[in-house]
Amino acid sequence: MIEYFLKRLLGAALVMWAVATLVFFMLRILPGDPLAAMLFDAGDLGAVDELRIKFGLDQPLYVQYWRWFTLMLQGDMGASIYGSRVPVSQILAEAAPRTLSLALLSFFVAILIAIPAGLISALRRGRPIDHGVTFIAFLGLSMPDFWLAILLILLFAVNLGWFPAIGYVPMSEGFWPWLSHLIMPAIAAGTAFSAIIARMVRSSMLEVLKTDYVRVAYAKGLSPRDVVMRHAFPNALIPVITVTGIAFGLLMASTVVVETVFAIKGLGRILIEGILNRDYPVVQGAILAVSGIFVFVNLAVDLLYGVIDPRIRVQG
Amino acid sequence: MTKRKQSDLTQSMKLRWDDANDFDRADPMAGLSHKDIAGPQLDRRVVLRLLAASGALTAAHLMPGAVAPARAASGGTLRAGWSGVGEFRTIDPAQINQVLLFQIASNVMSGLTHINPALQAEGDLAIDWEVDASGTEYTFNLREGVTFHNGDAFTADDVIYTYQRSKDPQKSIHSRVVANISDVEKLGPHKVKITLAAPQASLLVKTLERSSGRAMTIVSRGAIESMGLSDYGLRAVGTGPFKVTDHQLGQSMTLERNEAYWDPDRPGVDKVIITPIIDPEPFAAAMEAGDIHISGGNPIPPELVDRFEQNPDLVTSIIPGPGFQGIFMNPWRDPMKVPDFSLPIEELKTQPGFMVRLAIAKAIDRDLYNRQAQFGRATPAYGTINPAMGFYYDTAISQTSEQRSDAEAAQKLLADAGFPNGEGFPELRILCTASTRRDCLVIKNILKRNLGINVELDVKDFPVLLDDFQTMNFDLCRLGSGGDFDPDDGIVDWVQTASKFNGRNRNKDEMPFGWFSDPEVDRLVAEQSVTPDPDARKALVQAANKISSDKVAQAFLYHPADVMVWRKDVNFPSESRIPGLVDLDRVTLG
Repeated sequence: MIEYFLKRLLGAALVMWAVATLVFFMLRILPGDPLAAMLFDAGDLGAVDELRIKFGLDQPLYVQYWRWFTLMLQGDMGASIYGSRVPVSQILAEAAPRTLSLALLSFFVAILIAIPAGLISALRRGRPIDHGVTFIAFLGLSMPDFWLAILLILLFAVNLGWFPAIGYVPMSEGFWPWLSHLIMPAIAAGTAFSAIIARMVRSSMLEVLKTDYVRVAYAKGLSPRDVVMRHAFPNALIPVITVTGIAFGLLMASTVVVETVFAIKGLGRILIEGILNRDYPVVQGAILAVSGIFVFVNLAVDLLYGVIDPRIRVQG
Repeated sequence: MTKRKQSDLTQSMKLRWDDANDFDRADPMAGLSHKDIAGPQLDRRVVLRLLAASGALTAAHLMPGAVAPARAASGGTLRAGWSGVGEFRTIDPAQINQVLLFQIASNVMSGLTHINPALQAEGDLAIDWEVDASGTEYTFNLREGVTFHNGDAFTADDVIYTYQRSKDPQKSIHSRVVANISDVEKLGPHKVKITLAAPQASLLVKTLERSSGRAMTIVSRGAIESMGLSDYGLRAVGTGPFKVTDHQLGQSMTLERNEAYWDPDRPGVDKVIITPIIDPEPFAAAMEAGDIHISGGNPIPPELVDRFEQNPDLVTSIIPGPGFQGIFMNPWRDPMKVPDFSLPIEELKTQPGFMVRLAIAKAIDRDLYNRQAQFGRATPAYGTINPAMGFYYDTAISQTSEQRSDAEAAQKLLADAGFPNGEGFPELRILCTASTRRDCLVIKNILKRNLGINVELDVKDFPVLLDDFQTMNFDLCRLGSGGDFDPDDGIVDWVQTASKFNGRNRNKDEMPFGWFSDPEVDRLVAEQSVTPDPDARKALVQAANKISSDKVAQAFLYHPADVMVWRKDVNFPSESRIPGLVDLDRVTLG
């Protein structure tokens, strides 16, 4: 198990390095000079050249890469080119809790909706409730998250005044302020994933419900509740966990639209704005963080298989 | 300019000020004498005259009770939303490169002067000042007893430190703004002398101004040294009415009342929480839901203004904003090629390349454009000098400029250039960003309708657009400027050959200038910069503006409206309503 874990860890590190290196060079291929954009208004050619030297952007690409790589190994991700050169680590450290909060709550919302919906749909296959759940799932999948987000704001913030329309408050300022700011973003971001997971739970449960051991369980006289919850559902979880793992990783990286609508500065927005501004260090740092999260969530999911299904642990 | 000429001008200015007695709307000094306007301690008569002269005072203001005075300090927390921005990456004046950032810095920092709603300079950290006869030596008496937010006393040394820091391009991006300052000398703990290399008309309203200049916005040496640059940028320490107490990057900045502020009546609220909101719809929803009390930041998208105006809980204030927007045309590319703008206008009008440029400029129906692209909120533009500059703005230019909209005349010009009804005219590409895409679609449709020519949109990220703009790699480019408080911002920065935006990175062997160059404009621009007499300067500014308009330095589109929105329970007094700025120190809640 330890050897398996170490192998996966090494693989994860390699993936992160490959992604970060690719991004480093791709960013520099992109047209657009960040310093010229930053100093457009100032218009001081001397200042542009001074800053280019200061940031090392006048050096050959391989020198820039080596410098970035060695500093990164020492935990120094550099500083933003714009403004007062805020360290990338500080930018990411401030944004990560926001994205993590949003992703966790969205994930919770998605699971909360998806598991019962998927189970009910599978157990009532072909009945009106199955069609209803399927219809709602497709509706959730089809609805753009920004549109749902704006509807939620208009209804619950502007008209009813129940929740704040925008912003984020850290949990250190209280659970309710934190939750009240995140509940609408979480619903907006989690709905589409709940639809995906519900469909996966449904199909996985239908597969399991056809198996011999479920029929045997019914034949032995176990109650339907015991059959479903003790025998069928745990076995249906393996593919569901795969999807939920990917969903969580995606939520960490892809809530940018929801973050934008609710004015929450998370990792997604940092990444997008960094790309638009050609803020190389910030993009590199954010990509590293996002890819790291994605890789490690998948690693965690793989390890979780072993917990749920001992056969996988033995094979591993 | 010769010393003799400078001296004559200064003498003429002095005589004019000393002898001025009559009220004259065209006179920015409003008939006030030199003594009347020296220093910021103006009596009520002087203030009323200046306001009346600037047009900021109407009959309504003179009716008792017609304008509610700012209430006394009411305390409370004001929540502000900064539109169209994702984060406040710095409020260190040396690094600020956006209007929306110096809107915040202006509440935290001070300058020696600060502009008022009429864009005239008033004392901020300077109590008063004297100018010598040559117009190159300014002696400032500084306010005593002022402290920075960290408790350090403000002295003449801080002015010198700020200057030294600003002139170093490694430390400041505004070294060019102070290039004309040759020395800052300490004459006492609270007295400094600023010596200029040449007279500079914009010194008080631009360079030394607390927000627009940024170069001489006074910073705290002690705080910079103890906090480090990046932290100082996020939580700058100044002497302004508010101090930064918290900054969650990209989320919110919290300002709290500076109890030691030199004016005990300000600020009117205890705390301001400023939230950056990048998307228009959430901004509008937050405003309507009452999550934010007042707007700031980038211009509010025009499509939201009607919505805000119809909301009974909101106050919408619209005044002319500083800046201009236009379409730059590459004079090195056919069919708009004009390699020499120095020719007389009548001669230029015989050249096909110029005819095409003028045809495009005249074909743009500014009223239609304004309705479709700006929801009727903007002022049609024919030059860089904007209505917010008040006195310097040429109100007749819409009638006198060669660019004045006239579709028939435009069609004739295009036909004379060899493209009747647009036949045979090559497809042009117009550079724009995602945020100006809609504008460009309107332009494309108007040019198609009025000239029969095809324009394709070339949407790029801003840094890429700038690269293309500065290397002259474009046919047409939709761009402009904001935060222009002084004529220097419009004509020094935008129409002279040496402009920092005039194809700075072009191939200089192939293109001797960027998108415009005219020696007469250069002469006028240089002369107005060193002309302290307002009337004489106005004549020079308007002449340069007119020539650059007639010769189509660019096809000017509009001057933006400065729209601010606040909730009814916010008292935002007229003294704080400075075009382009959001000064919160006089705001009260109640």
